[in-house]
Amino acid sequence: MNIRILEKDENSIKFILEDVDVAFTNSLRRIILAEVPTMAIDDVIIIENSSPLFDEIIAHRLGLIPLKTDLDAYVLPEKCECGGEGCANCQVALTLEVEATDGPMTVYSGHLKSQDPKIVPVSEKIPIVKLAKGQKLVLEAYARLGQGKEHAKWQPVSVAAYKYLPIINLDYEKCDQCGACVEACPREILELKNGELVIGDVFNCNLCKSCEEACDLEAIKISFDDRTFIFTIEGTGVLPPERILEEAVKILAEKADQLIEEMEKVKGT
Amino acid sequence: MKIKILERTDRELEFELEGEGHTLCNLLRKVLLEDEDVTFAGYRIEHPLIGKPKVYVRTNGEKDPLEAVIEAAKKIKKMAEEFREAFLNSLKGSHYE
Ligand SMILES: [Zn+2]
Repeated sequence: MNIRILEKDENSIKFILEDVDVAFTNSLRRIILAEVPTMAIDDVIIIENSSPLFDEIIAHRLGLIPLKTDLDAYVLPEKCECGGEGCANCQVALTLEVEATDGPMTVYSGHLKSQDPKIVPVSEKIPIVKLAKGQKLVLEAYARLGQGKEHAKWQPVSVAAYKYLPIINLDYEKCDQCGACVEACPREILELKNGELVIGDVFNCNLCKSCEEACDLEAIKISFDDRTFIFTIEGTGVLPPERILEEAVKILAEKADQLIEEMEKVKGT
Repeated sequence: MKIKILERTDRELEFELEGEGHTLCNLLRKVLLEDEDVTFAGYRIEHPLIGKPKVYVRTNGEKDPLEAVIEAAKKIKKMAEEFREAFLNSLKGSHYE
């Protein structure tokens, strides 16, 4: 197994994963989407709401606000010592109190005041509701760790996807430089330079085979390497992408451990 | 994860993996099939909303199917560790730190 990072920034990562099968890669992708825990608001107590929106719509919008997650300080409620009732190890309280005193105003995610300075909205500019003069919104919200399989608001990523490494085979003997494939490629990978067909960024190929179809001489062939993947992760900002991957692979190892443990128990009987 | 053994002989094993899904079962199936002593491995999820996949393993009799599952799980763990190492190395080796 070998990994080469192609691109990386604060919220996203793109890498090449070599010498693994799809089963492993897909497990990893599925764990990232459904099992890496993140923080999100799950319980809201509305104290006063004279806004035009119903309580439940506001609660739903609050739930969808991505919160920066600290996985070292919090545990999933079902794994918490409190038994899921809610304590300082598994829950964070956020409060919001806004009144439109001088005319219409918008309530933003930035108005939420968190009990823990580490658990704050990823962006302060997510609108929640617009208030007219005199309207008021006062509430208490409780955020907890959760998993994407329960609700999409707990997904740490907006994109976690992979594709096989494309292989573009060009038969220079057959090619007559007609340029039909250059026209056909939706990703503009191919180019005619001084009467010679040049292959550009292979990673960008989406394996559509439009070039193959366009070529009457069968000079261009598209295939892929099914043991090499281009893996893309776009985080929502709740966790750094490298942490998301580390957590995912940790969860997979835990699953394997549990399976070994359970099977050893059966073996003894 | 909760395991319920449905059938067990010296060359056949069927069990229910409560709380798991395609994420683990598909990988487990794949790794089991790489074992030379395993002649068949598969799983099915009878209802998509009830997460109780049934895994079935059959061996040629040379190996206890339960042992085959344990070996496969150990291989999965090794793969996970290999990935972790490769990933941390790639972070170190690149100009991203
Ligand atoms: Zn607790």
